Amino acid sequence: MANLLALLQNETLKVWKKKRFAVIVLILLILIPVFVYAQMKIAQNSREKFNTDWRSELQSRITDNTNALSSERIPEEWKKWRRALVQQLQYYLDHDINPQTPNAVTFTRTFLDNAVSLFIPLMVLAIASDLVSSERSTGTIKMLLTRPVRRWRILFAKLATLTLYVSLIIITTTLLCYLISGLVFGYSGWSEPVFVGFQVKGADVDTTSVHAVTQGIYLLMQSGLIWFSAMVVAIIALMVSVLVRSTAASFVTMMATIIAGTILANMASSWHSAKYLFNVNLELSSYLRGTPPPIEGMTLGFSLAILGIWGVAALIVSFTVFTKQDILN
Amino acid sequence: MKSSSWLWRILGLTTFICLLIMVTGFAWALKDTWFPKDGLSLPEASKPEVATGGNWSDKAELYVTSLGDSLTKGTGDSTGEGYVARVVDRLSKEMDKPVYLVNNLAINGLRADLLVKRLDESGYKNSIGKADIILMTIGGNDLFRIAQNGGSMAEGGDLSPKLLLERMPEAKPSLETVFHKVRKLNPTARIIYVGLYNAFYDLPAMRPASEVVAKWNEFAHDLAEADGNATVVPTYDLFEFNLKQYLSSDHFHPNALGYDRISERIVQALH
Repeated sequence: MANLLALLQNETLKVWKKKRFAVIVLILLILIPVFVYAQMKIAQNSREKFNTDWRSELQSRITDNTNALSSERIPEEWKKWRRALVQQLQYYLDHDINPQTPNAVTFTRTFLDNAVSLFIPLMVLAIASDLVSSERSTGTIKMLLTRPVRRWRILFAKLATLTLYVSLIIITTTLLCYLISGLVFGYSGWSEPVFVGFQVKGADVDTTSVHAVTQGIYLLMQSGLIWFSAMVVAIIALMVSVLVRSTAASFVTMMATIIAGTILANMASSWHSAKYLFNVNLELSSYLRGTPPPIEGMTLGFSLAILGIWGVAALIVSFTVFTKQDILN
Repeated sequence: MKSSSWLWRILGLTTFICLLIMVTGFAWALKDTWFPKDGLSLPEASKPEVATGGNWSDKAELYVTSLGDSLTKGTGDSTGEGYVARVVDRLSKEMDKPVYLVNNLAINGLRADLLVKRLDESGYKNSIGKADIILMTIGGNDLFRIAQNGGSMAEGGDLSPKLLLERMPEAKPSLETVFHKVRKLNPTARIIYVGLYNAFYDLPAMRPASEVVAKWNEFAHDLAEADGNATVVPTYDLFEFNLKQYLSSDHFHPNALGYDRISERIVQALH
């Protein structure tokens, strides 16, 4: 056990000293203000248009989406998505709740929703992609493996490090987002109500199990779900990193897979078996929000199961290959 | 080595706490999805604003709400403004005070009977209740039934003056209900009903449809008169001999110029 803890310490410090996390923080520090500025412009614009009357703004969104529904050029899946959105917005309006109160928590929530499919995986990959392959390209893997430590322990320490860093990345993203956007939108909003539990059934939204939670709780649940999908990305990246010798190749492979997932999620609704791919299931937080899944029949349970199976399979492959493989050159 | 041990302590502890938070969040999300308990009780929201009525010249600002079909939406206008935005602009200039559009609630292809249902929605109630002026067009789809089938109406489709006349009796009660419901939602606002026009005046077979349109407008006028604070703005005379000039390429909706003329009329009626 002490031995494992020492390995963990070694790995954690190695990642830290490679300054990967610093790069991630730097990227966040540059990107978040950009989005905050954009959001501020949007808010200003709508304030001028709607005179700070959120009910008008909400109704106008409903009307716009209803109008888009009547257009015949819009594909059926988009209509489904809009129909669900209209019913949700209507639910908010009927209960006299503003779904988009202007504050830092709302901004963070929206930012995380948009970041889950690409941005968060990208940051996870920055750490996960070269965890094993870099040891190989620099040759340090020989030093590591000649020590009297079982190989699986080494990989396990790497996995544990990864888990810790993935958690750290998501918390850091959330915190930075809140702190930076709060400068503009104000630091309140933790106790504003949000509705969860919308169930999309075909063209209709079932509102029987809808209930309100505070935005703070919502943010906690949302980041928990994002954490899970980020963990699966990290585990699969670890497997690729074990299999592929070069860090660049491992990063590109993973990135291509993630991007393919977001494209597929947008267009695969007629290809039903695409729902068994892990990269189509990454947007777990959308189940919380209640937007229709990319492919019919996907639920939170389904996506968790798919992600879980992919994760376990990746772990098995990583550990088998890593413990058996010959280290040449 | 000393610094690295400190770093490890801080880093290890922080990341471990992060991990705990994430696992808690994840578990909470699962619990909330599969075993939801009663949500928190909703806070009382501030009440939506309600129009005050009274003399327009005494007010610092005016609020306009528009509802109805594609004409109010502004379909066919290449600038996207429609008559509503133009009325707001013009009125603001002429009255020399800010005029705000609360909401344009128009929906393409809406019929009077569907509008009656929509008037029960909370969004409609809020927006209409707040307005000093209510602009609306409705009934065109009840009579012509065009927006629903994409409408290549240049050929005349299955339209005939006789068909129009047959559809009128079932549409009339809906229009009446619309007037009543709007008035109930807002006792003080001026209601402007924009009259129908015959977009097919240039087709000899459809020229008699103008008679049906005139009857419809007359019915609307009766309703407006009964209401007391409503008026019908006629548009049929604008279009009859100027269809080419004022209609957009779909041969049913006005173009930018046509909407401009309609808005001129409305402002004349208002100010």
